Amino acid sequence: MLKILIPSMFMLLTTWTSPFKQLWSTILMYSFLVATLSLTWLAMPTDTGWFYINNYMAYDPLSSPLLVLTCWLLPLMIIASQNHLAAEPENRQRTYISLLISLQIFLILAFSATEMIMFYVMFEATLIPTLIIITRWGNQMERLNAGTYFLFYTLAGSLPLLVALLIYHSSMGSLSYLSLTSLPLTCSNLYADKLWWMACLLAFLVKMPLYGVHLWLPKAHVEAPIAGSMVLAAVLLKLGGYGMMRIMIILDPLTKELSYPFIILALWGVIMTGSICLRQTDLKSLIAYSSVSHMGLVAAGILIQTPWGFTGALILMIAHGLTSSALFCLANTNYERTHSRTIILARGLQMVLPLMATWWFLASLANLALPPLPNLMGEIMIITSLFNWSFYTLILTGLGTLITASYSLYMFLLTQRGPIPHHLILLEPSHTREHLLLALHLLPLLLLIAKPELVWGWTA
Amino acid sequence: MNPYILTILLFAMGLGTTITFASSHWLLAWMGLEINTLAILPLMCQSHHPRAVEATIKYFLTQATAAAMLLFASITNAWITGQWNLEFMSYSLPTTLVTVALALKIGLAPLHAWMPEVLQGLDLTTGLILSTWQKLAPFCLLLQINPSNTSLLLILGLASTLVGGWGGLNQNQLRKILAYSSIAHLGWMILVLQFFPSLTLLTLLMYFVMTFSLFISFKVNNSTTINSLSMSWSKAPIISSMVPFILLSLGGLPPLSGFMPKWLILQELTKQSLAPLATLAALSALLSLYFYLRISYAMTLTMTPNILLNALPWRLPSNQHTLPLAITTSLTICLLPLTPAIITLLTL
Repeated sequence: MLKILIPSMFMLLTTWTSPFKQLWSTILMYSFLVATLSLTWLAMPTDTGWFYINNYMAYDPLSSPLLVLTCWLLPLMIIASQNHLAAEPENRQRTYISLLISLQIFLILAFSATEMIMFYVMFEATLIPTLIIITRWGNQMERLNAGTYFLFYTLAGSLPLLVALLIYHSSMGSLSYLSLTSLPLTCSNLYADKLWWMACLLAFLVKMPLYGVHLWLPKAHVEAPIAGSMVLAAVLLKLGGYGMMRIMIILDPLTKELSYPFIILALWGVIMTGSICLRQTDLKSLIAYSSVSHMGLVAAGILIQTPWGFTGALILMIAHGLTSSALFCLANTNYERTHSRTIILARGLQMVLPLMATWWFLASLANLALPPLPNLMGEIMIITSLFNWSFYTLILTGLGTLITASYSLYMFLLTQRGPIPHHLILLEPSHTREHLLLALHLLPLLLLIAKPELVWGWTA
Repeated sequence: MNPYILTILLFAMGLGTTITFASSHWLLAWMGLEINTLAILPLMCQSHHPRAVEATIKYFLTQATAAAMLLFASITNAWITGQWNLEFMSYSLPTTLVTVALALKIGLAPLHAWMPEVLQGLDLTTGLILSTWQKLAPFCLLLQINPSNTSLLLILGLASTLVGGWGGLNQNQLRKILAYSSIAHLGWMILVLQFFPSLTLLTLLMYFVMTFSLFISFKVNNSTTINSLSMSWSKAPIISSMVPFILLSLGGLPPLSGFMPKWLILQELTKQSLAPLATLAALSALLSLYFYLRISYAMTLTMTPNILLNALPWRLPSNQHTLPLAITTSLTICLLPLTPAIITLLTL
């Protein structure tokens, strides 16, 4: 664990002391090394149980896929940001890279935390670099509003979480993950306990996001620069899911009744945000709402607390992370050429950039959960476990799958097929860098078809 | 100001606070407070600007009222109990009166109205002294009296955090924002006073460090409004890049050190079964965070349109002593991992 964390911390030093001409290549190579080393986390000699590194950091089959995703994403973010930062002064480039690296450090500490308060502190710590990336390097003036929404939605949800964790700590004595399984809160019917349950979950529901409290996400994803969008979509949303999975242990048996409205809200959100996607004119906004839709399914899968639900949620989180990040990279290739996010401004791109169309095709197929990709595996497991919980959810989830398929196809057809608009007279050919970026996103997804046990979580 | 006069005044300010620290007799404590007040008055109006003089008068009147109330309360206690010792106030009337008097002295809501106006009239250095040094003596007294009424301190604390948050939302003058930030932080300190007084001291010291770095950062830029901060990135780029962290630390975001007092106070309040109060106080910190965030937007996270001439000023070597700024900024950002050591240090 430390052999990944300490090199990541020293990457900060490398950022500021590299000669400027070799900065990007050095950082890229360094982060790829760290990412490759992090793949060792996926090797699980046993099926369950924790792998102890020290008292404060450990990983288990639930957190290791997310850790590997975090480490894998940093080189991808570096590749994606290289172009739009090339025009900036030297110190700002170094600052940007430092923010990305510090985000990775906080995320590694968050996913490997063994104690809930450590997880909480790192969860909040990831807000600061993300806020700075969105508000300083975003491209439109709405980015300030986006940063404010992002910060305040998350904080308003997570401050009650802090109080709830402290309450649990003062009554139970420990917040370490190891002992959480043997210290559930005793069943009680007080209204205050229901509020405590709500306080525990609200932060993660806002982060995921759940449909009613999702307003920060379209703003933040759209206004962020490409690395910000990538890390938000791929990893930061998964912090919410991971936190929910960890804290569910202590929330029994209140969850049996109290989770009802949130499951319904999550499923309704799948349909609603999917329908909103069909009416979007802004490409990044479409992908952002698609993220809300997928994460609604993840939230429902976690809230019903069955093994298949958790497994499906974890697989869908990993697969969605890679897919959504790939889609944002594709949208960024459009943005770098036309400097606009409007979909209809750049249509019929298959004629102009046919190789990129391959990636658009694959990413759209992944988004609509085509078999045999892991996206489908996650969705099928969640839908099955929801069906087991209640038959009627099938209406909502089936409709949701249909709408997902239609907006993914809509996005693909609108950007790639059809006539080329007449105003597009100069589009740069696709860079190798962009192809590399998308290949690195989609190859892990394709490879996961062969061995999904890596990202299964505990059982099944 | 004449350096001899300045020396005498600063010495007298230090003397006043020290007398209050060292006293166990109410009369001596009151004397220390009065010496402190009188010593700072010339410092406050040294520029002879009408606004500064107005601020000085307002400060004098409120502090004199508070000191008089303190004196009367201690005399009442002496009548009732027959002794003048600081720690042995056991009747509720004198204790409550002393608490309210000290609340007026430091500027807790609802006795806060003088604070923004007074701070606005001062220059940044004197404002810093007002926000930090002048709070030491009253807190020394507050830490020593046994509170009579549990809810009085909690009401003062919660009202201060809420007023400090809401009051600062509509300001664009930096000194008023700093005043409301002071009120909010004082509220946090008072919340935990009766449960775990060391945390009050911890919060006070952390607040001193954070607000020192903020005041000095503003002084380096010589700016008193949010608008004027927008030019700071060209004058002092590194200070401009550190100020968002100082502001977010004041707002109490982890992993910066400003999170430490908030975390520990929330922990203590939940241990005392005051969880709804803890939640309310935590959410009121979000109000303050909004205007801290707005300052950081104006200063660092946006670049205002300006002509090229302004964008590239001569960066001449500065004569400012920035070492204190460097030290306090580092402490403001990096102190959270040392929390156990700091608590141990302060509970000795």
